[in-house]
Amino acid sequence: MKFEKKHCVAMLLAGGQGSRLKVLTENTAKPAVPFGGKYRIIDFPLSNCVNSGINTVGILTQYQPLELNEYIGNGQPWGLNKSHGGVHVLPPYARSKKSEWYKGTANAICQNIPFIDRYRPENVLILSGDHIYKMDYAEMLRAHEATGADCTIAVRDVPLEEASRFGIMNTNEDGSIYEFEEKPAHPKSTNASMGIYIFKWEVLRKFLIEDDEDPNSDNDFGKNIIPNLLNSGHKLYAYAFNGYWKDVGTIASLWEANMELLGQNPEFDLHGKDKIYARNYAMPSSYISRGAVTENSLIAEGCEIFGTVRHSVISTGSTVEEGAIVEDSVIMPNVCIQSGAVVRNAIVGEDCVICGGAQVGGACENEADREISVIGKGTRIKENAVIEPGKVC
Amino acid sequence: MEALGIIFASIYDSSLGDLTNKRTIASLPFAGRYRQIDFVLSNMANSGINHVGIVTKYKYQSLMSHIGSGQSWDMELGEQLEFLTPYAVGQYGAYQGKLDALNSVRIFLELAQEEYVVLADSGVLCAIDLSKVLKAHVESGCDVTMVTKDGICNGAKQLDLAVQVGEDGIVTDMAVDYKADSSYLASMSIYVLRREYLIHACDEAVARSRYHFERDFLLHEYAAGKLKVNTYAFDNVALFNESTEEYYRNSLAVLDPEVRRGLFRSDLTIYTRPRNEVPAYLGESADVCDSIVGDGSVIAGHVDHSVLFRGVHVEEDAVIKDSILLQDVNVGKGAYLSCVILDKDVQVRPGARLIGTPEHPVILKRGEIV
Repeated sequence: MKFEKKHCVAMLLAGGQGSRLKVLTENTAKPAVPFGGKYRIIDFPLSNCVNSGINTVGILTQYQPLELNEYIGNGQPWGLNKSHGGVHVLPPYARSKKSEWYKGTANAICQNIPFIDRYRPENVLILSGDHIYKMDYAEMLRAHEATGADCTIAVRDVPLEEASRFGIMNTNEDGSIYEFEEKPAHPKSTNASMGIYIFKWEVLRKFLIEDDEDPNSDNDFGKNIIPNLLNSGHKLYAYAFNGYWKDVGTIASLWEANMELLGQNPEFDLHGKDKIYARNYAMPSSYISRGAVTENSLIAEGCEIFGTVRHSVISTGSTVEEGAIVEDSVIMPNVCIQSGAVVRNAIVGEDCVICGGAQVGGACENEADREISVIGKGTRIKENAVIEPGKVC
Repeated sequence: MEALGIIFASIYDSSLGDLTNKRTIASLPFAGRYRQIDFVLSNMANSGINHVGIVTKYKYQSLMSHIGSGQSWDMELGEQLEFLTPYAVGQYGAYQGKLDALNSVRIFLELAQEEYVVLADSGVLCAIDLSKVLKAHVESGCDVTMVTKDGICNGAKQLDLAVQVGEDGIVTDMAVDYKADSSYLASMSIYVLRREYLIHACDEAVARSRYHFERDFLLHEYAAGKLKVNTYAFDNVALFNESTEEYYRNSLAVLDPEVRRGLFRSDLTIYTRPRNEVPAYLGESADVCDSIVGDGSVIAGHVDHSVLFRGVHVEEDAVIKDSILLQDVNVGKGAYLSCVILDKDVQVRPGARLIGTPEHPVILKRGEIV
């Protein structure tokens, strides 16, 4: 059965293990990691799709998909519970001839060619599930169509010294890409790929099938598909994006991105147009008691604050008891910081209990010395226990 | 044992003055993020009552937009959930009392399949398992069971319906519109009876120009010796928001941890329509104590013993005490507010002062600018 034609279908790669997030992704796919008090990382690309008028989204899952599947549900929080289109979670599945896991990013899309074909889209937008940003994909799509590119790649300007960590797009004056270098030792430019691609579906489809037939391929967009397109003379264009964008693939960057939500004029403002949608749970509004100190912090619904909270993000349903101190930290949902506990420079995972008198992390004199302690989901830190700065448990 | 739910959305509208000028009592905001109807509707959803009619009268636009598709309560509008808007009955126009209202939605009652009906108002806020009430009713063998609360009748508050009961919980005296003393139990306006019996009662009463459920049916029939009435004593927090003063007092009562625990129980969740707001931001200069802060709020000033709904902005050096600020209120720099209720979208200019008393809080209407 064929469906009504879609102009653009988005495919969101959410299968990665995210091993650099350590205990935070032990039992959770990276895109399902909580962020910013009430969100999960996947809310950002998903909300961007909705805000850009893209209402058909495939989410490719593989690693620890349970929580992510449950979170996405029927897509209603994002307005993606459509009878035509909407959001679909796409795990790898057994087939009659061969069954396999998603071998790489390109293979994940390749295995889902039938899903995309149902909508007969002109374009396919490829997204990652581990970036925090607000972006209008519709604008990028317009640029893609204006240049007539086969593939348009979103890029951002990075400092030259960091450029060798990224895939670098070397472009002509008109934005067309003449060379792609994956993590170059001596970068020629500072246009880093953001891992956001728009392809003409017809072209991508052909290259995915060819790539799948190549036994030596890593089946990866950056390593295989993009270089192959470039080498075969297809038109690739860079699309420059100047807004806030953060890869939250590491503990340090996840902590930083949370902290960048704070302040009178935060680096990344969740307010304003282009709302980020999230699944909302039925929680009462938060209560701040007499004697509590709450400075420069985000406090999500269902929290009760009796202690001191400074420069921190306190997520849904958490409690900070009297005499407890939370500073420079990210407290994920449903955490209890008991009386007299001190949490500094830490990320505390969901459902943790930090018992009375325990110390998690510590203050740091200057930015270079900052080490983030991480407490994995559901951990109980015993009374008066000491978790050293930078320790992960 | 199944029950149909009927919620009366607008019975006391007139007693809440400006707060219900453009909305029903059911859609009056409460506790930082809820509308009053959330409590009764969630109670029904949590008690396995998943066929509910909401009887409205006037000004129900805000209520309908709040309920939306019903999805927040896991009910679907048009399937499990229906708005019963006033059908002009004969020459009378909009209905006059609950019985009259029920009579005007008679078809809904007739088409329902459930054996029992649970009637409830939306001005009494509590978290109650109605399946227990239903069970108690069936076991009692009485004609009607009403949910009662002690400690409400005090000789000063006028009750719709107050009763005295024997040791078996059966009603021994009944009074309507009465400032009952503490020997009486207050009706929480939650009643259970058989559906067929309710339809019959409507017929009998309306045929004799009687419209009020409590006065013209319960009391009338009870006094005539035709009705055996059972009570179900509710032993948790119940807030009666039937006047502006009660609304103000009960709004602040939610700051008490005991009251919050009684209303927001882990076993009976109160659902509401989500708003997709950013978490509340409390700035460097914010000084918030003993207060509820809704999501989407941005606070830079002083807030003491107050309830701030979603999206409230409080600028630096503003002081807010003993006040209720509904959604999206803006308070400018250095403003001073004490004992006020500011309705949605009110703007308080920098330096403005508004001072009320607990008995007579200053109330600003939706969108007013001071």
